[in-house]
Amino acid sequence: MSTVPLTLQARSPMKALPWAVPVALLLFALPQAIDPYKTILLAYGLVMGIAALGFNLLLGYTGLLSFGHSAYFGVGAYAVALIFKYFHVRSMELFLLGAILASLVVSALFGFVCVRYTRIFFGILTLALSQVLWSLAFKFYPITGGTDGLRVPTPTLLGLPLDTAGDKILFLARNYYYYVLGFFFACVLVMWVIVNSPFGKALQAIRDNETRAEFVGIHIRRYRFVAFLVSGVFTGIAGALWVPLNGLTTPDILYWPFSGEIVFMTVLGGFRTFSGPIFGAVVFNYLKTSAVGFTTYWQALLGAILVFLVLALPGGIVGTVVQLFPMLKKRFSR
Amino acid sequence: MDILVIHLFNALLYASVLFLIAGGLSLIYGVMRIVNLAHGNLYAFGAYVTAWVVGQALAGAHPVILYLLLPAGAFAAALLGAILEPTLLRPFYRRAEEYQLLVTFGLLMILEDLMRFFWGPYPLTATSLFEKMGSLKIGESVYPRYNLLVISIGVLAAGFLWAFVYKTRFGVVLRATSQDMRRASAMGVNVNRVYIQAFTIGCFMAGLGGAIVVPGQSAVLGMGVDALVLAFVVVVVGGLGSLEGALVGALIVGIVREFGVSVFPEVELAVLYLIAVVVLLVRPAGLFGRTA
Amino acid sequence: MPGPVTRRDLLAQLGVTAAATFGASAAGIGFAGVARAQEKPKGTIPDKPFRIGHMTFFTGPGAVLGEPMHKGNLLAADEINAQGGLLGKRKIEVLKADEAAGTDANVKEMRRLKLSEKIDMFMGITSSGNTPALGPAAEELKLLTIFIDGCTDFLFDKAVPNPRYVFRVTNIQSADGSTCALAVAQTWPDVKKVAHIHPDYAYGRNCYDHFSIVSKKLIPRAQNVSEAWPKLFSTDFTSHITKTLAAKPDLLVTSVWGGDYISFYKQALQHGLFDKMKVATTLALGTAPHAIGKDHPEGVLAGVHANYHFSYPPGNRWPLNKTFVEKYKAKFNEYPNFQAEGAYTATHILRTAVEKANKLTGGWPDDDAIISQIEGMMIAGPGGYVYIRPDNHQGYKDAITGFSKNVPEYPFPILDPARIITIPIRNITAPPGWPKGEPTSTYTWIDQTWPTVKQA
Repeated sequence: MSTVPLTLQARSPMKALPWAVPVALLLFALPQAIDPYKTILLAYGLVMGIAALGFNLLLGYTGLLSFGHSAYFGVGAYAVALIFKYFHVRSMELFLLGAILASLVVSALFGFVCVRYTRIFFGILTLALSQVLWSLAFKFYPITGGTDGLRVPTPTLLGLPLDTAGDKILFLARNYYYYVLGFFFACVLVMWVIVNSPFGKALQAIRDNETRAEFVGIHIRRYRFVAFLVSGVFTGIAGALWVPLNGLTTPDILYWPFSGEIVFMTVLGGFRTFSGPIFGAVVFNYLKTSAVGFTTYWQALLGAILVFLVLALPGGIVGTVVQLFPMLKKRFSR
Repeated sequence: MDILVIHLFNALLYASVLFLIAGGLSLIYGVMRIVNLAHGNLYAFGAYVTAWVVGQALAGAHPVILYLLLPAGAFAAALLGAILEPTLLRPFYRRAEEYQLLVTFGLLMILEDLMRFFWGPYPLTATSLFEKMGSLKIGESVYPRYNLLVISIGVLAAGFLWAFVYKTRFGVVLRATSQDMRRASAMGVNVNRVYIQAFTIGCFMAGLGGAIVVPGQSAVLGMGVDALVLAFVVVVVGGLGSLEGALVGALIVGIVREFGVSVFPEVELAVLYLIAVVVLLVRPAGLFGRTA
Repeated sequence: MPGPVTRRDLLAQLGVTAAATFGASAAGIGFAGVARAQEKPKGTIPDKPFRIGHMTFFTGPGAVLGEPMHKGNLLAADEINAQGGLLGKRKIEVLKADEAAGTDANVKEMRRLKLSEKIDMFMGITSSGNTPALGPAAEELKLLTIFIDGCTDFLFDKAVPNPRYVFRVTNIQSADGSTCALAVAQTWPDVKKVAHIHPDYAYGRNCYDHFSIVSKKLIPRAQNVSEAWPKLFSTDFTSHITKTLAAKPDLLVTSVWGGDYISFYKQALQHGLFDKMKVATTLALGTAPHAIGKDHPEGVLAGVHANYHFSYPPGNRWPLNKTFVEKYKAKFNEYPNFQAEGAYTATHILRTAVEKANKLTGGWPDDDAIISQIEGMMIAGPGGYVYIRPDNHQGYKDAITGFSKNVPEYPFPILDPARIITIPIRNITAPPGWPKGEPTSTYTWIDQTWPTVKQA
């Protein structure tokens, strides 16, 4: 297999408009057409999409496979829960602010350690660090509630009082869905700008050929560190946004198999494309939910899908679609 | 005083099992440069097979036969490994490491459910092996003899493995392949065969760990996932690919954990992972690792 | 408060009775599970099946508690369906969901069951780590729910302080630690050094808290010499046992349960733990009865979650229990545990409420009508009367515990019939209106209202 990747899609925002606009409109209109349950699932998918987008800045663009992104997701979520527990704040914006700061600090700390390594060592180190957080959340019962987790009530959005008369399902499927959607658009936009900036190009240069990149004068470790920070913060935002959907935080989201799920969804969508991880996250969420309902052996089913993907469709869904349509390929590939 | 001895035994007990798991993981990585995320499941597989075989034979079987059945799990895991390597892993050697991690992660999910499919949702036990040996008096305390058997098996396995790798012809081939696969291949070593052998031995060790652990505890779903992260800690501390490292790493983890449960229960787990992080920072290749 | 109280006085005040006599008037109380001539329901009843989503542990070490829960639900559903279903029309369908998927996944699955599978009711839950997550989720979904277990006080103290849709049938958790401590105070009042091994999550913490507060009142001289907190669903207790042995306690208190307890007692046996100290448990015989072997030592204070053991009330003294155990044995070829009893009773609570509501309103009653009938309901279940308190939707029945004993009739240990201990539930749980407290209302209630006994 050729290791020369497809360049990660169009560079000019104008080129992306023809498909981005309809998708955005669809996401905007969908809650009117589907039932609240499916809308909530979609919200989960979008939240995980933000996490996968962040994750893929490392995997797809910098060439670093982290097996510890549960850490930043969990830090974002626990930041929300602890802010509520100790300050009794219910504002979602403050939650997010706290989550961003917390995930920034943690990813700075972890990133400082991790970016010295690449390949398998990077993966194992990120995993080990995420396990440190997991075991702390797990063991410090008085603070984190241990495996019982911490509950977080319905937050207020933009300081507005709740207008769904205490109906949480309606709240999640309407107000909160659009809130998530707003952040989703913002995150996609920011990430788009990042990967198409000179910084993003430098990351890709590092990924493709470290030595050459160094010769050109790219400060590799510093670039990786910044990528790590951005990746961690995106994932932290996703963790915070996830909390109201779930209603509580538990150490499960810090445990290493959850990191595996983030990797899974990214690969499912295709990590060599910009939109692949987003797509993968939404699909994975539906896939897992329906697999759980469909068979008690859902785990084996998902495992088989993953093995099949890696064997037969390493480009993921989006990557394969792009390859199947030569026209698109010509347009998007180098 | 006797309690101190028992603490030490506990630490060795834990270390023995961990060494078998982590040693297998490390051996496989050393030779094949593959980190097998499903390695913990082979440990669980060994536990399930032994528990199942002993359970099937229990009615009226002579105790000696039951103890002879103990390694069944190890051989079953070895067999599974010998099937998995050529079918599932071989296509990935030429591809990026990321894909290997992913495919073994998928394998982890599949194996987890296969075990549930074959042996049902309940824990499987083989406690008769644990009970029949009774306990040994140590001062005022008593200690299960079976645990001492586990420790001896751990020590023996370490000895055999060392002799195997350093004293046999096959060991030479193994080490040569591990140091430079291409050159070994050019000198006429059948790399495919070495790979399948190394993978099988690694799986055998994991399976043996599961097989000897199951009489004293039980085979439960999820035991593989939990064991894997601890095995990671061991190989990170000891150095990926180093057997000596796995041994020392397992001892460190065993002692720290035993001490942790008694003295600092809140951070017992975190300390283990922190040790791994510190070692990686100070000696990236681990205590016994070769710098790549 | 009048002068110092002795332990014997306080135990008598609390009604802690060994080998309690049994018997009460049952006038005006519904009977669970007794086949009665079906009264014709009022109005037209749809014949759409009534779907119950039943979530409990079907996999892993928790399954030795979870499976019996599901079976209790099925047995009652069979009885009801044999008469044509609820109100003679709506057959009960039970959908399974595995609690072992983890708390986050369970919340998602509950939503899926309600919104996608359109269940009419939710039942089940074993772990007290899960009800505080699922309780609020059920309220959000407006989903009629009877939790069978997952009995943490936290659920109705804090997580759902004003429940509307959520009920729970088995005893509140604080009763478990308190019952254990009262039984210890009565049986082994001289213990001085106490060690603890509890699973590291809500239930273990709760048992530890309530054992401690009650023992502070009744055996004030007892001191805590060791604590170990193994992970829930771990199978290796070697280090925790060694830690306990090193502290040389007189008594070990443990709330380890399910498959974990089985591993624990096997390992403890080989370490000679049972020879060196007395052992008090909260859930040893609470698992499926056949799960514990005859190698389990006798004379251990063997808790049944302060709820139910199939051997009590014995014989035909409480015919409901006799028929329940017989039917359960006939259908599943095993004996029921407290979870089976809880789920069985809960299903009949539903049936009774639906029938009563139908009499009032005619047709199929809406959830509000069913809920108002469950609130304040007193019903006779196999284990005795269960009262559903209207203010907090919590079920209350007299607490029970006892001592493990091997008898020839059963291939597993049972509660020693000569030494059953029962305690009226109102004497060990916070009354209605007691302010919510930390860590639980019952804890502050015991702390503030029970005297400390004068130790001779």
